[in-house]
Amino acid sequence: MNSDETIMLEFQQGAREAFVELFERYREPIYGFFRRRLEHPARAEELAQECFLALLQNVQRYEPRASFRSYLYGIAIHLVAAERRKAGREVAENEKLDGRAAEGNAAENNDAGIWVRKALGHLEQSEREILMLREYEQLSYGEIAAVLRMPVNTVRSRLFRARAALKNQLLPVK
Amino acid sequence: MERHAQHAFDAEEVMAYLDGELEARRAAALAAHLVSCGECQEVAQGFRALSERMLSFEVEHPSAGMNEKVLAGLGAGDSSRKVIPSGSEQNRPWNWRRMFARPYVWAFAGLGLVALLAVVSIPNFFRASQVAWLDAPRGTELSAPAADRRSFSAITVNPSAKPPAATGSAEGWDASPPPSDDEHLKAPENVGPMIVQTASLTILATNYDEASAAIEKLAAAHGGYVEKLDAKAQTGNARELSAALRIPTKQLDGFLADVRKLGHVEEETRSNEEVSDQYVDLQARLKSARATEQRLIELLGTRTGKLQDVLEAERELARIRGEIESMQGQSALLVHRVNYATVQVNLNEEYRQVLGSGAISTGTKIRNAAVEGFSNLEDGVIALLVFVFAVGPSLLFWLAILLVPGWFVWKWFRRRARS
Repeated sequence: MNSDETIMLEFQQGAREAFVELFERYREPIYGFFRRRLEHPARAEELAQECFLALLQNVQRYEPRASFRSYLYGIAIHLVAAERRKAGREVAENEKLDGRAAEGNAAENNDAGIWVRKALGHLEQSEREILMLREYEQLSYGEIAAVLRMPVNTVRSRLFRARAALKNQLLPVK
Repeated sequence: MERHAQHAFDAEEVMAYLDGELEARRAAALAAHLVSCGECQEVAQGFRALSERMLSFEVEHPSAGMNEKVLAGLGAGDSSRKVIPSGSEQNRPWNWRRMFARPYVWAFAGLGLVALLAVVSIPNFFRASQVAWLDAPRGTELSAPAADRRSFSAITVNPSAKPPAATGSAEGWDASPPPSDDEHLKAPENVGPMIVQTASLTILATNYDEASAAIEKLAAAHGGYVEKLDAKAQTGNARELSAALRIPTKQLDGFLADVRKLGHVEEETRSNEEVSDQYVDLQARLKSARATEQRLIELLGTRTGKLQDVLEAERELARIRGEIESMQGQSALLVHRVNYATVQVNLNEEYRQVLGSGAISTGTKIRNAAVEGFSNLEDGVIALLVFVFAVGPSLLFWLAILLVPGWFVWKWFRRRARS
C-alpha cells in the first residue's frame, strides 16, 4: 500500500483517483475529528467536506516536508478554530465538552462515552487537543507537534498531564 | 501515577513506550524492565485502560451525502468555491512578525515613506527656491533692490516733499512745480476754462517688480511726483501697489499711455472738474481785498484822528491782509490742482500660487492639525461622556426592558432551529 504522501504527490500530478483513495482513507477519521469537537453532526459533516475541499483546492501548495496527516489535520484544526471564532461565545459555550452538552447528546452516545466527553471537557484546551489527537486521530508525537506548532517534548509532557488528569476522573483509584 | 523517586523509569517514559515514542535503546530496556517490575506493569496497565476507556467515546458514521459533495468538488475542479486556507500558512491569527516577513509589505512601507517625504519636502524646497529668487539681485534696471521691495509694506511718501524739477513746456498752464509767488499762481487769461483733472487706473501686472519700479520712474519722466505710495506684499498673496501721483496736466495723456503698457488695464476712470468760476471769484475777491488794503494804508498815512480810530483802522488792515494771504493760498492750490492732474494707480500682481508658499510651514501645519485633532478627540470624549451620563440611565433601562427578553427569545428560536 502506498503511503499517504506518495498518493498526495500523485494527486498533485493530476491523478484524480489518488484523491479518491485519500478521501476513502480519511473520510471517517476526519468526520470523527470534527464530530468529537462539535455539537451538531450536520455541522461536523460540513466542516469535514470543507476540509477535503480545501485539500483539493490547495493541492499545489502541498510540500512533503511533514507527514500528510500533519497537513490534513492542520487544515482541520484551523477549520475548527475558525468555526469557534465565527460562532463566537455562544458556540464556544455549546462546544464545551461539558455535562450539559453531553446530556444533549445522550441518545447518540453510550454512557461511557458521555463520561469520557465530560471528563475531556474539564481538561485544559491545549492538553485536551493533544490527548484527542493522540487517542482518536492516532497521531504521533511529532505529528501532533507539527499540527499544533509546539516542541515534541511539550507535546509529551502535556499529554502525560492530560492522561493523568483524565485517569483521575475516569478510572477508579486503586 | 506517583512513582518511587529511585525508580529507573518514570511514568512518562512508560507512556511514551506504550505510544511507541520512546527511543529504541531505552524502549528495549523498558520492555525488559516491565517483565520484572510490577509497579511499572501497573502504570502501563493504567494507560492501556485509559485508552480503552476513551475509545468508548464513539461517533456515528458520516452520511453518504458527504461523499457526493466532496467527489462532486473533485469532478468540477471546484474553482468557484472560496478557497479555504490550507491550515499551515493562512487562517492564523494576524501578527506583526508574520506581516513584516512579507516583501511587499516592505515595498509598500517604503513607497509610503517616500511619498510622505516628498509631500513634506517638496513644498519646503519650493519655498526655499522662492526665497532665494526673491533675495537674488535683479539685473533689470527697472527693478528695485529686494530690500526696497520688502520695505514697500508701509511706505508713505511725504506729500509735502519737493516735487521733481519740471521738464515740460512753460506755455499754457505751467507744467512746473507749484510756484511760490503770485505771478506763477495767476492763471493766464485767454486760455479757456480751468479744469482739474483726475484719473484712476487699475492694472494687472505680469511682472510686478518691473511695473512697480516703473511707475515712479514714469512719474518723474513726465515731470510729476509721487504723492503717496502704499505697497502690500503679504506672503502667499498677490502683491499690491497703490500710488497717488501728481502729473503735469500737459503730460497726463502721455503718462497714462505709458502706464497702460505696464500690464493689463482692468479699470480706468477719468474725470474733469471745472474750477474757472472759483478761480475768477477768488481773483475778484483778492483784487477787492487788495484795493481795501491800499485805501486803508492811504487813510492811515494821510488822515489824523483819535487813537481809537487809528487802532481800529490798523486792525482792519491786519484782517484784510490775513484774508489776502488766505485767498492767495487758495488760489495757488487751485492753480496747482489745475496744473497737476491727480492720478491714482492701483497695481495688482498677476499672482501665481507657488507650492509651499503658504505663510505657515508644513511642520506648524501638522502640529496645528495634531493639536486640533487632540482637541476634537477631547471634545468627542467629553461629548460622549455627556451623552452617556445624559442618556445612559434611560438607555440601560430600555435595554433591560426590551433587549434582554429579546435576546432570550432569539436564543430560543436558534436552539429550536438547530434541533
